Order: sequence, then structure tokens, then C-alpha cells
Amino acid sequence: MIQLGGGVQATVVGAAAAVVIASLIALTFWWMLHPPASFVEKQAKEAESELERMVGSIVVVFTPEIASSHMMALAAKLARGERSDLLALYVVELPYTLPPDAEMPQEERSALDALGAAETIAKNNGISIRTEIIKARSTKQAVLDIAKRERANLLVLGDYREGKYLGSPLSRTIEEIAADAKCDVLIGVEGKHGTLLVGEPETEGEVSPPPAF
Amino acid sequence: MAAAHAGEARRPELRRAVTPWGSFAWGYSDVGADIFVGLGLVLAAAAGASNVAFLFAGIVYVCIGLAYTELAAAYPFAGGGSYFVLRGLGDIFGFIAGWAVLLDFTIDITLFAWSCVDYSGQLAPVLVGSVHPWIHFFAALGLIVGLCALNVVGVRESTAFNGVVSALDVVSETTILCLGFLFAFRPDLLVHNMTVSWPTPYQLMLGTSLAIISFVGLESISQAAQETYRPSSIIPRTSTALILTILIFALSYSNLALGMQPWHPILGAHGHHLQFWQIFPGNADNQGKAVALLAAQVPYWGAVAALYVPVLGAILVLISSNSGVFGSSRIAYAMSRSNLLPSLFQRVHPRFRTPVVSLVAFCGLAAITLIFAALPSLFPGAMHFYARVFHGESGLDFLADLYAFGAATSYSFVFLALIALRLVDPHSPRKFKIPLNIPIRFRSEQTSIPVLGIVGFIGIFSILVFTLMTHPIGRVAGPAWLVVGVILYFIYRKHRKLPFLHSQPHDWRQDQEEILRTSGDLELLDQYHAALKAADERKATNA
Repeated sequence: MIQLGGGVQATVVGAAAAVVIASLIALTFWWMLHPPASFVEKQAKEAESELERMVGSIVVVFTPEIASSHMMALAAKLARGERSDLLALYVVELPYTLPPDAEMPQEERSALDALGAAETIAKNNGISIRTEIIKARSTKQAVLDIAKRERANLLVLGDYREGKYLGSPLSRTIEEIAADAKCDVLIGVEGKHGTLLVGEPETEGEVSPPPAF
Repeated sequence: MAAAHAGEARRPELRRAVTPWGSFAWGYSDVGADIFVGLGLVLAAAAGASNVAFLFAGIVYVCIGLAYTELAAAYPFAGGGSYFVLRGLGDIFGFIAGWAVLLDFTIDITLFAWSCVDYSGQLAPVLVGSVHPWIHFFAALGLIVGLCALNVVGVRESTAFNGVVSALDVVSETTILCLGFLFAFRPDLLVHNMTVSWPTPYQLMLGTSLAIISFVGLESISQAAQETYRPSSIIPRTSTALILTILIFALSYSNLALGMQPWHPILGAHGHHLQFWQIFPGNADNQGKAVALLAAQVPYWGAVAALYVPVLGAILVLISSNSGVFGSSRIAYAMSRSNLLPSLFQRVHPRFRTPVVSLVAFCGLAAITLIFAALPSLFPGAMHFYARVFHGESGLDFLADLYAFGAATSYSFVFLALIALRLVDPHSPRKFKIPLNIPIRFRSEQTSIPVLGIVGFIGIFSILVFTLMTHPIGRVAGPAWLVVGVILYFIYRKHRKLPFLHSQPHDWRQDQEEILRTSGDLELLDQYHAALKAADERKATNA
């Protein structure tokens, strides 16, 4: 028995009881709040860990035929949420008929516009971005080389439709990159030129809002 | 396709959004408040054997908790005990169990409104019942009417609020107990009190029957089962945690109260020193706020605890009272949908969409019980009558009697339902099973009998017998409530041309599929289908 101030006494039995009570309560709640995961929860957790692996380093690719502007905003939000490295890459394809140091002012001007827009989007989302313009004989090979150099986890590519079905909405270059890339590839096909929903009648049961007078 | 889906009328379902902590808090806000009321009553009745009374009631309570856990995880449906009994034993017993639970919830409203005023009286002396009985009465009545009005207009405490109050209370009670044992517990005093103040067998039975009220409210977790996400996995954990927490608190409080060296000396009427537990016999004011009085006597911390424990206690018991208002209307609604009560109880308010008839009916009954409980303190003439007929039970005793009777009756039926469902429905997947089972074959199906279910039934039935033997009001008013209910049930079923003793047809298989489909544990639905298919194949082979 230990004498404390004010005539208060502490006993070994009492102290042991206090420790047992606190430990039992703490253990009970820890056990309660950690139930085993269900099958769907395990699946969801795996998918979430995949996302972390997928978005460590993101490369958004632009070329005259890969229109990724509309995907840039998505990539910026993804990069902000996951704190990823973001690189906007513009590839100017140099025809074999031109020498390696040929000037291509019109393409370079387009590259500056595309990358400037990308920087603005990144700035608006509060993230930092690197930009790069390269000239290459093969767009596909250049993108794959840069992806390898950057150890990219995700390549973001954009495409568009012109309102007419031509067998595949993806350009040949995009298909080649998607086929050979050793990382995940996210391809966004812009939908605003699509025709599927245009002119469809209203579904049965839906009521049009009353006109505002 | 879209048009076809739009055309289908989809039945609205309760959203499964209750988390593990939410499920625990739902039960804790009901059961956790019981010790605030039960401790003083048991100390007054069982004196030096209060810890033994809590231990016996606690063992029974563990069995009850395990039974509820198995049933709520296997049948996560909002009906709770009434639904289990309906499914296991049939309509008439489902009605009796539900009617007993309704008695419990109705008394819950009054008892905890009363106790809320008692705890508030610790800080506001004008609310002390023995000094200002009329103010005490009107304060409790005001709480009942206020809670009824809030529930009619659809304002209820949120799960988040319950969660915060429950968390605060768990931390507070653990702190009080740890510091109490550390600074104020004297083992020799405990042994001395248990030796010198050991009660008579009659008092021990009385104390045990009152101790069970510290464990009433497990119903709430099963009530919330239909809104709990993955109930088959979550409910076994939250129920077990609730059982353990409440058991730890009840046993710790009773042992601490008996072995406590008060921080400040307590003097009796003749100036002699009293043990802490001795302030409860014959003092209804103290019985109603035992935890606050104990907390104030914990050295050092008591100075702070004396200020916040009455407030926390008052909030917790008020939430418990509200769960009585909410629970009684909900059970009446569910019983009405199962044709056990008239459809009147399904009637909802045209504007607020709440079951207004059920709410007003059971709050009205709660107000009537409050009048009966308060009569001796309000009118001295009534006190003489109560003294002659009911051996002078106080208002709090009156409410506790009925509470214990309703709980013991409904729990007895739940144990029987547990055993019956093991026999008649062996195919429903039971992710949690009470331990200790004897395997048997019944109707050519392999199943098992829960030994703890039988032990628990014997335990709770003996507490029901203790209640009837030791509570003069309980043995009159409790059975009278059941008899009146059965008569009303008979009239209603005759009016609806439904069988009285037999059950109406139910498609339990379809019900179970629907329950499992919406529960979030789809593996269990696969197990159920596989078990049914195997059973059908066995039957075909035998035929």
C-alpha cells in the first residue's frame, strides 16, 4: 500500500485492476474496429493499391495527331490527388525526307500552344509540371523511350472523332503505343463529336421541365 | 431498356450505412445508460453481494448477448427479438415476445426520463425528487412529451451524435474506474463488506432481478441490423464488444462501490461514518444517480467528475429514453406489418411521415406509468396504499420491476426461438454461432443444439421467477400487461379472420434470400443457395 497526499492510499491490487480494465477496454475496441474484409472489400483494396502503382509518374503525350488537350485536365486532377510527377510531352515527327536538324516552325508553334495550355491547367490545379518538346523520326518510339527514361507509370493519350465511323476511333500511332508500352495507358476519346445521343427521343416516363415564363 | 427499368416499381429499402462504431454506439446508447440506473438499485437491494448479483446477471447477459448476436447476424432484419420469435415459434409467441419488448421500451421511456431528472438534480437541487416531488414529476413528464413531439416531427438524434456521446462516456467511465481502483479501492474493505453485509437470499434474488436491468438493450443492435453494412460480419464484433464493455463496467462498478474508500468522509444521520454503498438503501434520490455519486468520490478526479458526470449521465439516459420512444413505435410498426397488431399502428403523419399513432400511444402509456410511479411521492395517501399493497416500493422500484419483467420475458422467448430456429431453419448461414453445441439430426437434417442457449434460458427464466417472487408490483402489472395484450391479439385476429393459435402462411425462404441479397455479404447468399440445393437433392434421393 502506498500513501498519497490527502489521506489517499493506492494498493497493488487496485493498480492491477486499473491496468486490466484499461487494457481490456482498449483491446475490445481495437478488435471490434478491425473486422475481416469481405471479398469485395479485398478486391476494392487491390484496385486502390493498383491506382497508387499506376499514377506515380504520369506522361501526357501530344502530337499533331494525338490530341490530348481534353485529357490534360483529367491528368492534372489525378496528379494532384495522388501527388504524381507530371510531364507534358510534345513529339514533332520529322519526316525521313528532311535532315535531322530541319526547322519546323509551324509544328513547333503548335507545340508551344499545347504545352502552354498544359502549364496553365497545371497551375490552375496547384501542381507543378515539366514540359518537353522533342523531334523524332517515329512518334511511337520517341514516346516509349521517354516513358522508359521517366519510369512512367501511366501514359495519357487523347483522340477525337470527326462524327464518322472509320472502323476504329484510335489512330494507328495510339494503337502502336498502347500495344508496346510497358506501363498503363489511358486513352480518352473525346465524345463531343459523337452522334449517338443526337436526336434521340425522350425516354418514356421522363417529364420535360415546364417552360420558364 | 431504360424505359423498362423506369417502369418497374422499386420498393424503398433502408440504406445500409451504419458503420461498426455506429452499430456499437446504437446499442451502447441504450445499454450503456442502464448502469447509471441499475447500480444504485442493486446496491440498495443486494448490499454486500451486489457484485455477486451483477456477476450472476452478467453470466445470463453474456448468454443473451451471444444468442442475439447469432440471430441478428443470421437474420439482419429490423424486427429484432419479435421477428426471431415469430420466425422460430410462430405468430402467437412472436406477438407475446414483441408485446413484452413493447412493455420494456415503454418503461424505458419513463425510467430513463425519471433518471435524467435525477442526474440533473445533482447539479440543480430544485429537481431533487424527495424535496420537490411535483417539479420532479413535471420535469419527467415534460421530457416524455418533448421526446414524443420531437419524434412526431421526425427529429431524432443522429447516429453521429450517439457515436460522440458513447465515445465520451466510454472514455469517462474507463477513467473513473481506473482512477477509482488506483486511488480509492481497498481489497480488505471489499472483503469486509461482503462478509459483514451479505444479504438474505430474498434480498439477493431481488438484487439479481434488478441487476438484469443493467444489461437490457441488446435489442437495439438487432434493431439496427437492417441498416448495418455487412451485418453478418460486423454485428458479431459490435455485439461482443458491447457485451464485454458493459460486463466490465458493471462488475467493476459493483466491486469498486463495495471496496471504495470515499475521498470525503460520508456521515450518517447520527454522525457516524458510512461506507459508500450504505448511502443507497432507502434513499431513492441517491439510487437514481449512483454513478455521479461514485465518480465524485474518486480522489482528485472526483472534483472534475462531479461537474461533468451528471451532465454526461443525463444526456446518455435521455438518449436511452428517446430510444424507447423510437424503438416502441418501430416495433409496433413492424408487428402491425406482420399482422400481429392492428394496421392503425402503421398510420403515418401526412406531413411528417412518422408513425404518429404508435408514437402517441406508447408515449401516452409511458406518461400513465409515470403517474403510477410518482403517486406515492405526490400524494401521502397513496403512499399508505402502496405501503400496504406493494410493501412500500418507490417509484423507481416500480419502473425497475416492470422493466425487469419485460426484459426477462422477451429474453426467455428469444432463447427458445434460438433453439427452434436451429432445428427448423438449419440452412440459413450462421457466420457466428454460440459456442458449445451438441450435433443432432432433426427431420433428416444435420443441425445442433446450443448448450449455452439452454443455460441462458434457465438463467433468464430463473431471473423471471425472482422478479415475480420479489417484486410485488411486477408480479401484478407485468402478467396483467401480457394478459391484456393476448386478449387484444385474440380480438384483432378474429376481426381479421386470421388464425389465433396457428400462424398465417409465411415464405421464409424468399424472405431470407431477400435479406441476404441486400446485406452486402453475397457469399452468404451463395452458401444459402448451396445448402438449399443440397437439402432438396437429399430429399429427392430419399423419396
